[in-house]
Amino acid sequence: MQIRKILLAGAMSLASTGAWAGCAFENTVPLKSLSAGFEAWKAVTDAMAECGNFTAELDQEFREKQPEAFAADPALYQIGGVANSTMVPLLNAGTIRPLDDYIAKYGQQLSANQMIKIDGETYAIAMMVNNQHLMYREDILTDLGISVPTTWDEVLAAAEAIKAAGVVDYPLGGTFKTGWNLGEEFVNNYLGEGGAFFGDGNMPAINNPAGVRALEIMKAMTAYMDPEYLVSDSTYVQQQFQQGKIAMANLWASRAGAMDDAAESQVVGLVKMASAPMGSVRPASSLWWDGVVFATNMTEEEADAAFRVAMEGLDREMVEANNDVAVWLIDGYVPGPAAEGAIATANNGAVPYPASGPMGIMHTALGNGIADYLNGAKDAATTLADIEAAYLTSAKEAGLVE
Amino acid sequence: MSARALRQPLGLRLASGSFLALWCLIAAFPIVWITVMSFKAPVDAFSSNALHVIFGPETLARGKGWSVLDIVLGGAVIWATLWLAMRALPGAVRAWSPQGAVALGWVLGALGLGLGFIVVFFVAVPALTGLLNPLAGPLGQDVIGATTEHYRTVWIERGFANNFKNSLIVTTGVVTVSLTVGTLAGYGLARSGSTLAFWILILALVFRALPHSVLVAGYLPVFINSAEWLAPILGDNAPTLYGKPLAVIAVLVAINQPFTIWMLRSFFSNIPADLDEAARVDGCSHFQAFRRVIMPVMWPGVITTGLFSFLLAYNDFLVTSLLLDASNQTMVPAIAGMFNRETTTTDQVVAVAAAVSITAPLFLLVMAFQRQIVSGLTAGAVKG
Amino acid sequence: MKFKTFAAFVAPSVFMMLLFIAFPLVSVFIQSFYVTQPVYETVAVETCTPGFTGQICTTETKSVPRLDDNGKIVEVTRFVGLESYRNVLEPARFWAAVKARSWAALQAIDFWKALRFTLMFTLVTLPLVIGMGLAIAIVINNASRAIRGPVIFVSLLPFIITPVIGALSINWLFRGDGILTAGLEWWLGRDIALFAQAWTIELLMVLYRVWHVAPFAAIVFYAGLQTVNQDSLESALIDGASRWERLRYIIIPHLMPLITFVAIIHLMDTYRVFEEIVGFSSQGHVISLQWLTYDFLKPDQAGNRSISRASASAMLTMIGIVIILVPLLRRTWRDHRGAGA
Repeated sequence: MQIRKILLAGAMSLASTGAWAGCAFENTVPLKSLSAGFEAWKAVTDAMAECGNFTAELDQEFREKQPEAFAADPALYQIGGVANSTMVPLLNAGTIRPLDDYIAKYGQQLSANQMIKIDGETYAIAMMVNNQHLMYREDILTDLGISVPTTWDEVLAAAEAIKAAGVVDYPLGGTFKTGWNLGEEFVNNYLGEGGAFFGDGNMPAINNPAGVRALEIMKAMTAYMDPEYLVSDSTYVQQQFQQGKIAMANLWASRAGAMDDAAESQVVGLVKMASAPMGSVRPASSLWWDGVVFATNMTEEEADAAFRVAMEGLDREMVEANNDVAVWLIDGYVPGPAAEGAIATANNGAVPYPASGPMGIMHTALGNGIADYLNGAKDAATTLADIEAAYLTSAKEAGLVE
Repeated sequence: MSARALRQPLGLRLASGSFLALWCLIAAFPIVWITVMSFKAPVDAFSSNALHVIFGPETLARGKGWSVLDIVLGGAVIWATLWLAMRALPGAVRAWSPQGAVALGWVLGALGLGLGFIVVFFVAVPALTGLLNPLAGPLGQDVIGATTEHYRTVWIERGFANNFKNSLIVTTGVVTVSLTVGTLAGYGLARSGSTLAFWILILALVFRALPHSVLVAGYLPVFINSAEWLAPILGDNAPTLYGKPLAVIAVLVAINQPFTIWMLRSFFSNIPADLDEAARVDGCSHFQAFRRVIMPVMWPGVITTGLFSFLLAYNDFLVTSLLLDASNQTMVPAIAGMFNRETTTTDQVVAVAAAVSITAPLFLLVMAFQRQIVSGLTAGAVKG
Repeated sequence: MKFKTFAAFVAPSVFMMLLFIAFPLVSVFIQSFYVTQPVYETVAVETCTPGFTGQICTTETKSVPRLDDNGKIVEVTRFVGLESYRNVLEPARFWAAVKARSWAALQAIDFWKALRFTLMFTLVTLPLVIGMGLAIAIVINNASRAIRGPVIFVSLLPFIITPVIGALSINWLFRGDGILTAGLEWWLGRDIALFAQAWTIELLMVLYRVWHVAPFAAIVFYAGLQTVNQDSLESALIDGASRWERLRYIIIPHLMPLITFVAIIHLMDTYRVFEEIVGFSSQGHVISLQWLTYDFLKPDQAGNRSISRASASAMLTMIGIVIILVPLLRRTWRDHRGAGA
């Protein structure tokens, strides 16, 4: 029986590479793409591959290569996968092309919402959105008679009650891994407090009451989290949920589907989604999008083919086959229960991640600097002042600050 | 008399034996454990209860398990493979390899054994037990939860075979080039007392100590744009070096050169200079003396050094992850990629299976070569 | 050997080292005194991004690099002298911390924090690796011949295993309720979080490194033990030397060149400790010098890198390595002079 399975699997993998099965046209121009490596990209690039002559490179470290590879002439990849922040270097260097002509030719099915416009010209086509929002164990909250928390104070009160009841190892989970994750947590909370990151001339402006408040919220949360929070990324928090070790977390919408995966989760049907907790001004979250861009340095023929192939990857059939993998922006998507939290967060007024050159530096400085505060090595004001100093050094070296 | 006088008291022997046993346990445990994990369903693999990981109740509950019969047969196959690698392979290679191509014989032999093991263990044994289990009564009942599905996912669905092939290309290239270039240089350095030789060695030592990430980061723009800056020399056919295994081989060889020439130099220094002097008196040039006199006796040192080159090339992450694209990626960056992407728990177990797969060839290699390593080191490949 | 012959023998090797190591090294050295940056202009940009209900459009003033006629970013390079070195070393904060005699303030500066850990790691693992290596070599040599083969094989496993995989397995075994942490908790009857504070992480890193490298030391020493002069051992026995004395006065001196060899290799490798930091994701608690360089070099999401500071930090790391190597270099020089005379 095992032999049969292997043969079957082999036959299927052959069939899937057998070209243009689910594609409206047969692509004859060799094309390559470079994008991040998560599930949604896998689904989209698999759909593109059905047109033939297409190879996808899914690489989580893509951002190290992408600017260089697109700057080469001819570009090493024709299609690129980006998010709000990773589009900045490509846009700055002028290595991605405007798409309005191609949209007029091949993109009738695209909705206006999908087009990323810079000064009126479309430079990228978004396929999905993502944000961090509250996930909670409905059964635990119901048992303890707690209503779904909507602010950080309520979250902390609920955590206290759950801790007292002792039903899980840790009431809260958090993607506090030092580096990008930790920086993102601060960004969420700081935006929730209504803070702005920069003053005039790209000068840092985070050392203020909103910044201190954001840090204090994070520190208050850590009291209810696994003490190893500085190494926990979203995969780890997702696993903690699945193993029933935590009761609440502000986790990525793209992770919601995994809670009900019977093959790995022990809490199927128990985890529910809600809006990210409110800060003083808006939800403690930021909106992200992922989408495709096209290189400047390629022939017109390649550009034409690349755009058509990408449209096949972003079509209705792909979404119907992978509905719960992401919160799609593509026509045909039916928001399920897993998307409720993401939508509620947006409706409560969460703002897009403020991607820009200086923000890239700021995010890194935050990610490296906040651990000292959570460890108790520095107080909040010193931490923020040190982060601003680190930002200034880097920004001066990059030429962004005089 | 010495044998009796040197005999150790029981207490000392016990202490020595138990220290050895403890060390072996510590040395092998992580590898054995991830091997066990790779055969379980995700819930079992990451359970915090050790017994759940070993016996896999959840995996068993999903109807995937091994019976006593499976375990006995599987164990026999593993044992036979080990026996072949340790005992039969060295003899067979020596007997069947043509003169001067022993290294190739080893590569082919190890490859054949590995492939044979995969076919027998993952295809033939399951087929056989599938027939026998229903007939074997209680011995045919599943007792331990285990599944090979993650290996199938890795090798068939994820196309890991392609990464394996790339690793093979890169490592073979690195070992061959590194040894050819290094042997010549090592011999030259050992036989020359000049100050230049001394400074080359010192420089190599400093290079050996350099942090690699600094050097490697500078390669990326140069390699990506190579078509542009090579165009004046090579014309329109100038290749883009980024993503080419050849370019990676060159970089890895260079990075590995300092260590290689130091090891080979000390090895050649231990071969009496009289040997090649005699050949030179008979009218041979330095190269002829090297080929006729030194080459026949240099193999222990070369094999040991080659093994270190192999390990470096096979295990490298920094260079391969930066300079290779997806279609030419070797196994280590491919596995790291599996972890770095936003994973599900199932993906993680699949990655564990990949991690075990990548360790298996190293196993075979060390089994086959461990005698040569020790004898090469003893013969003086390493001398302060 | 004539110079021409010598050159023919070493040329390929030297050429590769020059091309791929020396040349990049020189460019790193030069870069550490220069800063290259794009020319930015401030413009108002309207950006529209997708929301859930509809597009969100904002107009902001942004810094955008100027492009030349060929569509390339205009960059200027200027000489900054030692500024990048100052930015890495932060001498002002360093002296303030020294004057205040505040260890905590000193450890708040990245470079000095990294230096502290790198030195600690190097100096603590060195004796452990040598000691463990010797102990393993001696007990293997003591074991009966029949089991030596398998024992050497098992001993070599930690050394040959791919470092990335090794660090990951430690993660699986210890992180959260990993199986070994769970075992420790059960044994000690208390909750343990090994990745929650700096000292446990450092301990794990040291143990991991010793586990990983001790087999190499052991196999080298074991090879050395095969060539111990049996005659001197016997005469020592006749003189009534105890087991310990034989080890101390005959075996260890015989192994001394090998011990130096292993020590040098180990010093070089641990001084550039890096994999452990990434593998254990410890940068919140502990960082090393090479990690610092790597962090400067790694582009952030917007593609900014601190190449000048990375080069400066790399040069500082190199200076440290050369200092560590000085005793060895002097000895090699003496040997060379001796051999030449």
